[in-house]
Amino acid sequence: MLRFIVRRTLQLIPTLGGLSILLFIWLQRLPGGPEYALLPDDATDAQRAQLRRSLGLDEPLTVQYVRFLRNILQGDLGTSLQTGRPVMEEFFTRFPATFELSVTAMLIAVAVGIPLGYLAARRRGGILDFSAVGGSLIGICTPVFFLAFILKVVFAERLGLFPSAFRLSPGLSRTDLSGFVILDGLRTGELDVVWDALMHLALPGLALASIPLAVIVRMTRASVLEVLDEDYVRTANAKGLHRRTVRGRHVLRNAMLPVVTAIGLLTGSLFAGAVLTESVFAFPGVGSFVYAATQTRDYPVLTGFILLIATMYVLINLLVDISYSLLDPRVRAQ
Amino acid sequence: MPTTPNAQNPSDDAGTPDTGTTGPAGGGTSLLTRKADKVDRLAELMGPRDNGTGGAGIWRTAFRRLRRSPMAISGAAIVAVFVLIALFAPLIAPYSATAQTWGGEVFPNQNIFVGPRAENWLGLDNLGRDQFSRMVIGARQTLLVGVVATLVGFGVGALIGGTAGAAATLGGRWGRTLDNAIMRVIDMMLALPTLLLAVTVAALIGASLTTVMLAVGIAQVPIFARLLRGAMIAQGNRDYVLAARALGVRTHRIALTHILPNSLGPVIVQSTLTLATAIIDAAALSYLGLGNPDPSFPEWGTMLADAQRFLSSAPQLAVYPALGIIVTALGFTLLGEAMREALDPKLRK
Repeated sequence: MLRFIVRRTLQLIPTLGGLSILLFIWLQRLPGGPEYALLPDDATDAQRAQLRRSLGLDEPLTVQYVRFLRNILQGDLGTSLQTGRPVMEEFFTRFPATFELSVTAMLIAVAVGIPLGYLAARRRGGILDFSAVGGSLIGICTPVFFLAFILKVVFAERLGLFPSAFRLSPGLSRTDLSGFVILDGLRTGELDVVWDALMHLALPGLALASIPLAVIVRMTRASVLEVLDEDYVRTANAKGLHRRTVRGRHVLRNAMLPVVTAIGLLTGSLFAGAVLTESVFAFPGVGSFVYAATQTRDYPVLTGFILLIATMYVLINLLVDISYSLLDPRVRAQ
Repeated sequence: MPTTPNAQNPSDDAGTPDTGTTGPAGGGTSLLTRKADKVDRLAELMGPRDNGTGGAGIWRTAFRRLRRSPMAISGAAIVAVFVLIALFAPLIAPYSATAQTWGGEVFPNQNIFVGPRAENWLGLDNLGRDQFSRMVIGARQTLLVGVVATLVGFGVGALIGGTAGAAATLGGRWGRTLDNAIMRVIDMMLALPTLLLAVTVAALIGASLTTVMLAVGIAQVPIFARLLRGAMIAQGNRDYVLAARALGVRTHRIALTHILPNSLGPVIVQSTLTLATAIIDAAALSYLGLGNPDPSFPEWGTMLADAQRFLSSAPQLAVYPALGIIVTALGFTLLGEAMREALDPKLRK
């Protein structure tokens, strides 16, 4: 088991190394190069040459790549062109907001998606099945940012049920311990802050949940349908086991394997979706910061974001692999 | 669509080693000059020969299942209407999509918009242009974006995946090493969410319609590559490949005329699904400001992104293109999913 984990972890090194090379090439190929991105348009050639020298851009590519890699490994992703602060620092201050949003979205998706998918499979061909499948297909086909806008206009601006922007109501006083609003509120007992934060999370959370929800419903449904057909389910039924035992222990547990994988992989794409959702709700997380970065061509921020997401994705993949090997001994043997 | 590879299928399906004389590469001998003959030939290949080789082929039964599936029919209907509108857009659109003919009637900053009326079926946009004409002409651009992006993803992905798949199945030890190297890069690309990959590409080449098509297409490359490679490896273990090898058919010939045509099924299904993704992703890229910078050029993604500014005062401006995108994407998704179900023996019940 340990050997499997070690081997899988070692396999990450070439993947991440290759990714860093791709990113490095990408940075090199940016239109005009960094000296155009960093300096105002009316800068003189001498200023540009000066900047190139100071950034070490006149050195051989291999030297530049080694420095690029060293900086990344030291957690230095460069300085944001928008704010002039280190990219890493900007990400860290905004991460709690995005984390809370992503967890909310994932909770909605899992809490609604798995039961819905399960019921749809149990009543295959029924009205519930039809609407679950149809709804999830429409969900996948709806641009996330449009859904976010509709939710905002209808539930926040027209009906006034939810706040339309930000993470907390302005002027709300709270004790800041870690940047995680809900966690802090629970620890200090400021329940009004927790409630306020939840209200602010509802709409963006729902918008962000749309795609994972649709995927989870369909994955669960397909997976349950497949398991319901298995011989061991028939055997369990024939043995006269209680219906609830069969459904819980035999059907659901086995059907959850592919769904767990999907959930793991969806988590990575949540962060990409957060870019769209957060910008609509002016939610002060990593996503809206990256959205601003795409508008202003803030390359260090974009590079850092890609690197972070890719690393996260690769790590999640590793976790999924490991949890699979825990659940299924055949994977370990390969 | 799935009938194209069918022409070469019957003999392979029956497990008879195809020495290449009837494969697509051997088509030179039967080069037909007249269109009618071509059609006849195709009909001949698809028709009785299937039954002659014992039982209906996988494509044929799949097609029969498709015709009975309400999912496939509604999907195909949506796609057909969309394609027809796109093809005949200039004939359907009653007015110019770019001229601000009624510019004097719309004042976005004073919240004055014009909704549907007799002469403008869907009302006017924020610059006094006929919304219906813009939607119709926009369908054409949207189809173009979807098709070109899918072709880019399909073409590049199939090239990479096909090379890897052929190397893995037929290349021996050296081939497996090559396959490994290629797939490492592909897995790396797969590690990025497609939208992020598209943003990366778009940031590199600057905002334009070409950017959107390229970016969305490149983001699909790893999916196509993995899919074709997987399908080819699965085919590589089949008896007819072994037979062809035993007969001494040259390796590249086995790869191109035996394994490849039989592996295209899942890739074609994926293309249908990719068309939907491409249209949605293109809209997201437009929203991120990486799309076509010229707003006078109607394209649903750009129209939707532009209309967000007026969503509180004139929601219809966003709703029309959004509905267009959702319905079209739904059409391609329904068709693709139905095709996948029809081809997948696991789902046949």
